[in-house]
Amino acid sequence: MRVGVACLAASAVALAPRLAAATDAHAADSAATAVAVVPGRSLQFPRDYGSHPQFGIEWWYVTGWLYDGQHHPLGFQITFFRVKTDLDADNPSAFAPRQLLIAHCALSDPARGHLWQDQRIRRAGLGLAQADEGDTHVWIDDWQLQRRAGPGGASLYEARLPAADFTLDLTFSAHAAPVRNGEGGFSQKGPAPRSASYYYSEPHLSVRGSIVRSGRRVPVSGEAWLDHEWASEYLDPKAQGWDWVGLNLDDGSALMAFEIRDRQGGFYWAGGSLRDASGRTRTFGPADIAFTPLAYWRSPRSGVRYPVSERVRVGPAQYTLAPLMQDQEFDARVTAGALYWEGAVRAEAGGAAAGSAAGSATTPAHASAARILGRGYLELTGYDRPLSLR
Amino acid sequence: MPHASLPLSATASEPAPRPPPAPLLCIQGLRKSYAAANSAVLEGLDLQLQAGEYLAVMGESGAGKSTLLNLIAGLDQPDEGRIVFCGTDLAGLDDDARTRLRRVHMGFIFQAFHVLPYLTVLQNVALPLDLLRTPHGERAPRALACLERCGIGALAQRYPHQLSGGELQRIAIARALVHEPRLVLADEPTGNLDARTAEQILQLLRDQLHATGAGAILITHSATAAASADRLLRLAGGRLAARTPLAAAPRT
Amino acid sequence: MTRAAQPAGGTAWVSWRLLIRMQLREHPVRMLVTLLAIALGVALGAAVYLINADALAEFDRATRRVIGDADLIVRGPASGFDERLFVALARDPAVAEASPVLDLQVALSSPPRTPSTQGAAQARGGSFGDEPLQILGLDPFRAATLQPALIGALAADVTHLFDHNAIVLSDAAAEELRLRPGDSLPVAVGSETRVLQVIDVLPTDAYPDALGIMDIASAQWMLGRLGRLDRIDLRLRPGVDLARFRARLLARLPAGVVASTPRIENGRAATATRAYRVNLNMLALVALLTGAFLVFATQSLSVLRRRVTLGLLRALGVTRAELRHALLGEGAAIGLIGSLLGVLLGAALATLVLAYLGADLGNRQLAAIGASFGVHPLAMLGFALIGTLCAAVGAWLPACEAARRAPAAALKAGDAEPLIARLPTTAPGLVLLAAGALLAWVPPVYGMPLAGYGSVGCLLIGAVLLVPRLTHSVMQALPSTGRVVVDASVAQLRGSAGSATVSLAAVIVSFSLMVAMAIMVHSFRDSFDLWLVKLLPADVSLRAAPGSDSVRLSASEQQRIAALPQVARTEFQHQQQLYLSADEPAVTLIAQDITAGSAADGLPLLERATGPVPPGARSAWISESLHDRHAGEPGGWIELPLAGRRERFFVAGVWRDYLHPGGAIVISRADYIASTGDRTATGAQVWQRPGADATAVDAAIRAQLASPGAVQVLSDSQLRERSLAAFDRAFLVTYALEAVAVLIGLAGISMAASATALARRGQFGMLRHLGLLRRQVLGMLACEGILTSVLAVASGLALGALLSLVLVYVINRESFHWSIDLSVPWSELAALSVTLIGAAAITALWSGRAAMGSDVVRAVREDW
Repeated sequence: MRVGVACLAASAVALAPRLAAATDAHAADSAATAVAVVPGRSLQFPRDYGSHPQFGIEWWYVTGWLYDGQHHPLGFQITFFRVKTDLDADNPSAFAPRQLLIAHCALSDPARGHLWQDQRIRRAGLGLAQADEGDTHVWIDDWQLQRRAGPGGASLYEARLPAADFTLDLTFSAHAAPVRNGEGGFSQKGPAPRSASYYYSEPHLSVRGSIVRSGRRVPVSGEAWLDHEWASEYLDPKAQGWDWVGLNLDDGSALMAFEIRDRQGGFYWAGGSLRDASGRTRTFGPADIAFTPLAYWRSPRSGVRYPVSERVRVGPAQYTLAPLMQDQEFDARVTAGALYWEGAVRAEAGGAAAGSAAGSATTPAHASAARILGRGYLELTGYDRPLSLR
Repeated sequence: MPHASLPLSATASEPAPRPPPAPLLCIQGLRKSYAAANSAVLEGLDLQLQAGEYLAVMGESGAGKSTLLNLIAGLDQPDEGRIVFCGTDLAGLDDDARTRLRRVHMGFIFQAFHVLPYLTVLQNVALPLDLLRTPHGERAPRALACLERCGIGALAQRYPHQLSGGELQRIAIARALVHEPRLVLADEPTGNLDARTAEQILQLLRDQLHATGAGAILITHSATAAASADRLLRLAGGRLAARTPLAAAPRT
Repeated sequence: MTRAAQPAGGTAWVSWRLLIRMQLREHPVRMLVTLLAIALGVALGAAVYLINADALAEFDRATRRVIGDADLIVRGPASGFDERLFVALARDPAVAEASPVLDLQVALSSPPRTPSTQGAAQARGGSFGDEPLQILGLDPFRAATLQPALIGALAADVTHLFDHNAIVLSDAAAEELRLRPGDSLPVAVGSETRVLQVIDVLPTDAYPDALGIMDIASAQWMLGRLGRLDRIDLRLRPGVDLARFRARLLARLPAGVVASTPRIENGRAATATRAYRVNLNMLALVALLTGAFLVFATQSLSVLRRRVTLGLLRALGVTRAELRHALLGEGAAIGLIGSLLGVLLGAALATLVLAYLGADLGNRQLAAIGASFGVHPLAMLGFALIGTLCAAVGAWLPACEAARRAPAAALKAGDAEPLIARLPTTAPGLVLLAAGALLAWVPPVYGMPLAGYGSVGCLLIGAVLLVPRLTHSVMQALPSTGRVVVDASVAQLRGSAGSATVSLAAVIVSFSLMVAMAIMVHSFRDSFDLWLVKLLPADVSLRAAPGSDSVRLSASEQQRIAALPQVARTEFQHQQQLYLSADEPAVTLIAQDITAGSAADGLPLLERATGPVPPGARSAWISESLHDRHAGEPGGWIELPLAGRRERFFVAGVWRDYLHPGGAIVISRADYIASTGDRTATGAQVWQRPGADATAVDAAIRAQLASPGAVQVLSDSQLRERSLAAFDRAFLVTYALEAVAVLIGLAGISMAASATALARRGQFGMLRHLGLLRRQVLGMLACEGILTSVLAVASGLALGALLSLVLVYVINRESFHWSIDLSVPWSELAALSVTLIGAAAITALWSGRAAMGSDVVRAVREDW
């Protein structure tokens, strides 16, 4: 099905995961009418759990590890994007596409070897697709993600996504307040401060619920990570894409790190945060972060090569990321005009695969003795082409 | 198939027919009447014809000569009586079987020649071979040989409208004999010809009959024509009356 | 005999080859004419089929692109329905996907066109000015699932479609309107002009017809349909029972909104045109039937003629069955060659017609565009088979006759042309006539007048069977004139009454059909004309962008027009399409100035309710087709969905309607306004003051209009002329078929004449020997020709009149659900008759002359 819904260039920003590429002329127009992200604005909860329609782009991004009754590991991804279009500003029609909503939904099942995936794109409105402003509540038809205050005021999310071939029916409960990334939630994405977003994370979410595959419902539990990020001008025009990782570490700490690559594939910008078990958060700048590919995997469908195993240096610490399975490529070309790799990874102690050369065709063999430090998700974008969405 | 014993195809009759022990044709008590005419045309007619025998039947117009010929040919069916041809009772055969019998074992010569105008002389003569599905390679040579025997080999590629009455009847004779039938039926073959040509035609017919060993029944009201036969019968009152053989009689 | 070997079936094959060769050599022209008759019949059938198949395929393709993969299509009346229905359906747990659609016929407002585009629009057969453009307003995201082919064809970036005035055109639309991406397209909406921007043109294969695609939001806004939808396409979740869900849905939908499946939708299109198609196909088959009669005539005569050859073949040992097969094969061979020729001819004809007339043949019911031409090998094979079969059937009787004949007689010298002495009994003919009469009363089968066609067939064959007896009786009754030429002719015909059947059959069949069709078309045209006069009572007609959903005459425009000094009186009306039931096509609702008392003045009423209108009840007058479909009975009640409510109307009468195949209902405009609050009008009848200048009135009216380009102002007489022209165009095919029937009839007459003349060469020679002048012999022949053709014409007229009754009162009525009044085109029929008789005399003379060539005297000696 060649659905030309791809490439939402007009709405510009992106639609690609997490970071967006606000690099083309349309994006600039769009940014002109959208509210800019500025430092010094402190996030207000619960208001900021909700949607910010005056900003160009926004997403709620839940990823995590699940275990079925036999303790087989699975990865999952639930993403809702909101995109402001700035079209039909005067059109009184209830169908006027002022905001678009996009959802991506995937399940990593090693038994299957590639993702179960599904995606939707709709115009917001008529109550059929919407992102509420008061608190996290976003839905497209019968796909939805909703937050409420749980015991002690911590977040409790409910997600239900009946997708084409599978269903995710999960609740996530937080045990602490959100982590404000960057400077109190202002997260810079490039050397110029205008490339920035408001960004908080909810790590170490306990997952309960069930999934349905091939008509069979299986109860699952596990641990997840939620990101909520909104911006108007995003990726710097010189940037190509990024590597991002979010890890729920077994010692109770939570690590987020990203590196933005330039058009030549080299380092352009980076950032990160680490909250330790006691709740103290440390923020990292470009100098503190380095991603080094250890092994590549080439998609047989798209031909795109992704560094599915990487060594991440964050300040003094080093982690080796090993994927749950190699093929976790998400083909979002029909809704977001992008291909990306979004996969469950294990974090192993830094030295474990240090000897493996970058570009090796195979995944490094994991010594059974390798010490697993935690689990999380690795995101790789801009490996097919720059996230300039024209 | 009641007639399975008959040699119905040309290939089956390929071995030269030995004189059969029984007569070629045996007719007993033949009766035939038409609804239109109140009296019967044939009333208990008997006739025997030996293989190779050349018989002439004379009679007045309306005496039933043609009826007799049609009955023998299987073109019509008698009210009563038996016609046994080559040991087969025609009464036991349906129209198709009689037609096949005719196709294989009989030849016809008509007063009006009935040579097809849109076929060449050779094609006309080869027609019986076509109908018998003689192997393709044999048809033309056999027809040509037959034409030559009848003295008109040179006309093979001509069309009938270019020919005289005598020539047309020669073609008809060739056509009647080309598939080596056992019996030739000739209905006033000289009726449309002048006396001189008639004589030539009768001579040719006689010669060819003797050459091929075919039996023949010649129907005519001409004494001259009848005289060319081995035996002469007169049809009158629905029966055949024997006459002395005229073979030795002087001809004009 | 050195031709290619044949494998089996030898004797019949040899005979067949002989016979064909003989025919080709002796009567090449006769064979050719027979062949052409079959070819023409097949060609017509094939052409009609191909044209219709093409039109239907186009329609089907278009429907499929637009409806896509929907399980159910929810449709409303022309005014649409509230968009909240979409929200409710999208939330229904049984619905996997719901796609909201605005589907509008939008009038183009004084478009940026050149004279050439105007010409093109008219050449497309638009009988009433410019045609509106169909515009779909879609949500591309939701439509992507349901109309993948259409959405997939949009250029990569659908967000461009979100611009408030953006429109994407199909290739056909772009070509027709001469527009390219970047051009603007002004459309008339309400009484305003809005300018749309063409942002893209779909590839040619994406959609066959003219179509514009807009985003649903901009379409709602720009086309004045805020809050409204016309259609919702539904895809159900796996496991949902379609029929049960549909039943549940139908119960819950607002009045006037229906849900149908793509099958029903396609079926509606097919139903709307089926009667028309069946009629054309049947007419083509009638031509074929005439061809079969011609084969019959040819073969019968040629069997007589070739009796010697056939007799010789029998004597030489060809069995009856073999002879019959050979003769049948001969007929079939003629049929096969003719049919193959016919199929080719038909394909050529169809291509030509599609190229110059369009697939609708001028018939608006088949409103499909485009002339892409599909290949239908199976159907074409079918037509070739039917043609061959017809020819074989025609050859069957003569073949049996030949096989039955005793061969001996034919071989006797001096055998004369045998006459079919025995006259057939009249019983079968009478039985068939009676059966034909009875069949005319049998109701239609699946909405098709099959029994009516059966009746026509029975009447035809029955009449043909009675011809010999008729000929004999007539000739017997003719007094002796004492003139040798005439008496000899009469005697000849009396004696050969049996064989007269053969030569007359084809003539009578074709002539009677010609007469019947002439009467039917004339009756229809007369009734149509009278109807037009009734419906166009005023001086000027106003039509707001005919066929469009977007243009209306506002209340103020109406007032201004009515207040014009040149205008004496105005009657405004509002027309719109609505659905009475989910399975039936849309019905046209006409709200006009009418009261129970004045109905007979304004409507061609056929039937009225016997009782008085119940107090307080509102009246409705339904068209004949609705009455036929049992939508209502005079004196009963009918429910009309108005503004989403079911309103009860008293059925005050039934009126004749030639315009709306789906049916039409007339109600009073006051009632309409009271129910809907809609004061706009779609058209008007305007009476001008005595002495007012027509062009001035026209200009004055136009000056009152907000978008004059989108409103058609025509004088009633102009409109009537245009309508009649459209009528004549629609019956072009019928006229063509008539012409073919005339040709075949003439061919039949000339063949019969030449055959008998040739067969009687001997007789002519004899007469010449006896001292008859050449002139006298020819005179005799002409006399025979005239007598024969007078007989044929007389029987043809009588039979044709009978058939026309069946056509008018049974076949037409059941096919189109409208009645027409019988009206006989006397002068036309007289001219046809005289032409036929003259032609017969001339052909008889001509063939006599040919037969009396140099060797006619010699022919006495030999009869062949």
